[in-house]
Amino acid sequence: MSASPPGNIRRLVRQTMTIARRDFVATVFTPMFLVFLFTPVLMLSFGLIGGMGASSVTSASVEKASIVAIVDPAQQEAMRAADARLRQLYARDDRPPALVMQVPTDNPAGQAHVAFSDKGNDASAAMFGELGRPTILYSGFGRRDANFLAQLAEETLRMERSGTTALSIPTLTSIARAQPSPTGNKRSAFFAVFGIFFLTLFLAGQAVGTMAEERNNKVVEILAAAVPLEAVFFGKLIGMFGSALLFIGFWGTLASQLDVLVPGGVGAAFRDIGPAVGMPVFSLLFVAYFAMAYMLLGAVFMGVGAQASTPRELQLLSLPITVLQIIIFGLSVQAVSKPDSWLALAVEIFPFSSPYAMAGRAANLPDLWPHLAALVWQLLWVAIIIAIAARAFRRGVLQSGSGKINWKGLVGR
Amino acid sequence: MITDNLAISATGLVKKFGGRRVVDGVDIAVPKGLIYGVLGPNGAGKTTTLRMLLGIIEPDGGTRTLLGHERPREVSDRVGYLPEERGLYPAMKAKDAIAFMGALRGLDLKTGRKRAVTLMEGAGLGHAVDSKIRKLSKGMAQLVQLLGSVVHEPDLLVLDEPFSGLDPVNQDRLEALIVAQRDRGATILFSTHVMAHAERLCDRLTIIAGGKARFEGTVADARGKLPMRAHYVPHFEGEGIAALLPPDAERDGDGWRFIVPESGVEDILKRLIDGGFGISGLAMERPGLHDAFVRIVGPDALKDQVDDVEVAA
Repeated sequence: MSASPPGNIRRLVRQTMTIARRDFVATVFTPMFLVFLFTPVLMLSFGLIGGMGASSVTSASVEKASIVAIVDPAQQEAMRAADARLRQLYARDDRPPALVMQVPTDNPAGQAHVAFSDKGNDASAAMFGELGRPTILYSGFGRRDANFLAQLAEETLRMERSGTTALSIPTLTSIARAQPSPTGNKRSAFFAVFGIFFLTLFLAGQAVGTMAEERNNKVVEILAAAVPLEAVFFGKLIGMFGSALLFIGFWGTLASQLDVLVPGGVGAAFRDIGPAVGMPVFSLLFVAYFAMAYMLLGAVFMGVGAQASTPRELQLLSLPITVLQIIIFGLSVQAVSKPDSWLALAVEIFPFSSPYAMAGRAANLPDLWPHLAALVWQLLWVAIIIAIAARAFRRGVLQSGSGKINWKGLVGR
Repeated sequence: MITDNLAISATGLVKKFGGRRVVDGVDIAVPKGLIYGVLGPNGAGKTTTLRMLLGIIEPDGGTRTLLGHERPREVSDRVGYLPEERGLYPAMKAKDAIAFMGALRGLDLKTGRKRAVTLMEGAGLGHAVDSKIRKLSKGMAQLVQLLGSVVHEPDLLVLDEPFSGLDPVNQDRLEALIVAQRDRGATILFSTHVMAHAERLCDRLTIIAGGKARFEGTVADARGKLPMRAHYVPHFEGEGIAALLPPDAERDGDGWRFIVPESGVEDILKRLIDGGFGISGLAMERPGLHDAFVRIVGPDALKDQVDDVEVAA
């Protein structure tokens, strides 16, 4: 007597989860997983070390850098006040070099040129002459600093006329928007696309070697005899996805404490970034689209990797997929910046870019029904890719001549 | 074909690799509750036949039923399988490996672990239940894998070259385990090219060579394919004795060795006694399975043999 289709599905699910559980345990309960889990710390450490090196080089040059104003002593107080006021408009790391004021000599033009050759004073721009019609010299990348000096001259003259005391005393208050702005939508769309891209790039590539492990251990014959290959592939994918979720859960929990971890209300600034569908729904959709992107790419990686016999072949086969992934990321970023364009529609429909683009859409547009359709569409493609991968494996590795996709065999007669 | 009492039934199985017929119309009928051997030289098509029967690969022709089902997958939970190329996860504990193999066939892991300990203790491997597979010797790992194929108490156990790579002690353990499974009520199908195991274990067997089934029957049937042989030692030596013996008689030490004709040995003995040579010794012997195998397979079949296709690694 044949097993009923529901019975077959139950058995398929059970077999899939057996494979998934084995792979999850084999991945997570090893010392290597800790290394994997803390890879971002390693990346961050390397980034910090590199950043500190670059910063120390930059600081050394910034300490010496200056802009020079050759100005009458009577105007220097007003200029100092104008300089202080103008600098408030710049972010801390973006401010022009320190202002050095000099009393003009008989030859102010020569004095300005000397400022550029002074070893102890690395001038990027120097100003001389009447403030109403100043001459400003600059070298190399000093044009921005030269513009600052021009603005400084203007502001100094204004202050001379109105006095150095501020005429307007503003009160700055930070408020949270009731609705995210279109700019905030677009920012969250970019974060969504980048987040999914980064996570899948980082995590889905792991799937490439999982079938190679089975081939090397000769376990594949045992698995192939006991369960359908589709269940083997899907189970492995779920197992790897489980470990990916663990990774995301760990770092996501840390990230959710951003307010506590970062100083100066930087975390609060992120609250201005908001998706059009609202944060709770967006969070769910983000997880769902990450799952789909992971499954789609993981299935491709696994299917391709299953054909490889050596680590070299694995690397060679992985490269084109990674390049494709980067192209998809580029297209998705373009799409979310223009959510109503034909490109956006194309990228939302193309299965491999759909999870990225739809996550971006959730940030840009409030309607929900396209997401249900997209998730079904993407899930269908996961199934198609797994079936194709299993077919290729059956034909190429198990040497079975048929290689037909066994839909009926999966769910019964 | 009546299949009610058959664990496996296959008719006209064909498998082609690269246009070459590796299995060429094999029929096989394995009655329930027996130990059934698939014998054949290397590359005869044994492994490919077993893989088709199990549904690992699909045949290019012919039909098959496994435990009454045309789709082997539907009864995979009732089947145990030990492939020719042994494979286990090196980082797994032995009992977990056995439980995992049971779980693939529908046994829950908790029960699987309990049974694994019992099975390993029964097989003399009790000390290794918590050992990682990579720490086990090849023979021990092979036994662990075999235990993994029976932990879910399958109705049908398929073993592909189960004795290869085992030392004599472990071979004896394996033989005992196979017999125990048969006594439990399971059907065992195993392939081998070592005749001694087949002769001791098989209730029935088929001999495959060059992708074709050359013989099907009991061990006795196979041995019956060859006539009996006699070893005769005369009481007195003398000229003319050769003329009284069958034409194929050959000198063998103090005596003569010849094939017993279909009419029996009595007439020959009477002639020898009448000729005054007497009888100092006479031994009748039935040829072993090894001789029958060589006779059945024959040099022509060996010429046809092709490599069995293995899982690429």
